[in-house]
Amino acid sequence: MSHSRIRRSVPALAAACFLGGLVVGCGGGENDSPDDALRVALLTSGPVSDAGWYAGAYEGLLLIEESLGAQVSHQQTRSPAEFDEAFFSYGSSGYDLVFAHGFEYQDAALRAGEEFPELTIVVSSGGRISDNVRSLIFRLEEGSYLAGMMAGGLTRSRVVGMVGGVAIPPAQGTFRAFEAGARSIDPDIEVLEAFIGSWDDVAAAREAATAQLNRGADVLVHNTDAASFGVFQAVREANGDENPVWAIGMNRDQNDVAPEVIAGSAAIDIPRAFLDVASRFTAGTLPPGALDLSLGEGVVDFIVNPEALGRIPADLLARIDEARVAIREGMLEVPRIEFLEEEPGGP
Amino acid sequence: MDAAALQAFLEASVRLGAPLALAALGETISERAGVINIGLEGSIIGGALGGALGALLTGSPGAGVLAGAMAGTAIAGVFALFAITLNADQIIVGTAVTLGGLGITGVVYQSVFGATGTALTLPTLPALPLPGLSALPALGPALFSQAWTTYLAYLLAPALWYYLFRTRWGLELRAVGEEPTAADAAGIRVRRTRVLAVLGAGFLAGIAGAHLALAHAGTFAEGMSAGRGFIAIAVVVLGRWNPLLVLLASLFFGAASALQFELQAVFANVPYQLLLAFPYLLTLAALAGWIGRSRAPAALARPWPPRSGE
Repeated sequence: MSHSRIRRSVPALAAACFLGGLVVGCGGGENDSPDDALRVALLTSGPVSDAGWYAGAYEGLLLIEESLGAQVSHQQTRSPAEFDEAFFSYGSSGYDLVFAHGFEYQDAALRAGEEFPELTIVVSSGGRISDNVRSLIFRLEEGSYLAGMMAGGLTRSRVVGMVGGVAIPPAQGTFRAFEAGARSIDPDIEVLEAFIGSWDDVAAAREAATAQLNRGADVLVHNTDAASFGVFQAVREANGDENPVWAIGMNRDQNDVAPEVIAGSAAIDIPRAFLDVASRFTAGTLPPGALDLSLGEGVVDFIVNPEALGRIPADLLARIDEARVAIREGMLEVPRIEFLEEEPGGP
Repeated sequence: MDAAALQAFLEASVRLGAPLALAALGETISERAGVINIGLEGSIIGGALGGALGALLTGSPGAGVLAGAMAGTAIAGVFALFAITLNADQIIVGTAVTLGGLGITGVVYQSVFGATGTALTLPTLPALPLPGLSALPALGPALFSQAWTTYLAYLLAPALWYYLFRTRWGLELRAVGEEPTAADAAGIRVRRTRVLAVLGAGFLAGIAGAHLALAHAGTFAEGMSAGRGFIAIAVVVLGRWNPLLVLLASLFFGAASALQFELQAVFANVPYQLLLAFPYLLTLAALAGWIGRSRAPAALARPWPPRSGE
């Protein structure tokens, strides 16, 4: 019965296309720019609705569209197997610049760079570079060190906690700096650390945060994506007038994500950094190799939550301001983890 | 581990185990009817978003759970349409439904709350301590001071066991999962039984998702189901397709996950990846030692009516 064979494959295929199409379709908006317009794409490996690392990148893409009149597109890749596919789709359809927003893209970016010499790829926190694969390194450790000072000054229990997604070097770097910042206030502070093995698992993040709060931590920082909501929620529920508990935002200014418990955010101004890269790219002045952005350029900072200002001791704020100046002037060295494997060749 | 820490660990075990139990109990019924629904993950994330939206719109977490159950059922309906009514491959349809569920919830969430997201504060399901039982030492508060959706899992396990093994309808459902052709000859409506089993599984997976958002996390994020649908399918195997054992297996997995967070705090020098793998290693060990005495329903994942050449 040959028709039953057809019946088997057609509905399955239809379901796959219909539902699969929705996933890809939720990506980016293409518009009708003229053919010579700058074409810029963004790849993320998590949802841009994380109010953090990916949200900042998406805002950056929209800023490039608005400021430079670029034609933009965004794709969320769900697995490493899709990295090459995504690069291929942009490389083969004439895109000029692709922001691959995360350390995890570095190998696929090198392969795509070889295959599409006309394409320029900028890997956020990338550790590998080539002629047309650049790295955008954010010295978030500098903001994270100041966040650690805030935590060290706010804690009453002298225990602070860190909840991470996956222990990749950029995430570990922020935690080492946070630890150092907290201990610069009080050398005997206990620092707890947990990784949940996922960037989006809100329930696991909440459970890890609760475990740290149960062990006496009263200031929690995170370095996750959407899972951060679980950390904020755990802190919200543990927070009381008698025993205030604080959270600290990371990657993007998250102060308005949970304004009642967030003391401040170690933030990257990702939109500004992306616009800067895209502008230099169009002007032909994008430097080869790695672009380092730090406190000095104003791209990285620790932003105190304005709503929490009244509850933060003034002398602590003053110490953080002093440290900010010291870092900017090179007087204070913040611990960091180097992950750039290859220095750019020649001037 | 002191008493307070033990307490916290047990509570976390039940919190982590409850959504798995709800989803796995539903999947048990579906698999007993011969349908492996790996679209379960899609129903869970649908239930999480449905629960979040329902609770926000009505202000009532109870209404949220109902909305989550409806969303989970609707997503399972897509699976049933393609995999049973149109007799397509269950694994392919299930994969598509999971990917589609994750995608469509993302689209809806971003269109309602903005593309860059926010940490929603949802009206949450409070813990309802059961008088008497919650005062029992050690296990009392952990087991009996939880949201009502957790108690639903406790009640469903024996109820579904009774249904499967002591009622005529349960016998018919198992017949459909073992020998659908014989069941058909005996006058049992195979497709209708399977569709209802899958919708029931979607309903429970939707409640599991709503529980995740409303009783556990207290917020919603894209992708927050984080693979629990697939773990629930493994838990069904671990529980040998028996609702009572499935409930125990879910709590066992919850305990292993909770222990992992405690271990990370105690053994700071052990690579955390090893500790994260701990629940899965334990599950593998349990499967290896336990599963020999059990087997899957004979017609699991087999299309019906059979295709030519199969």
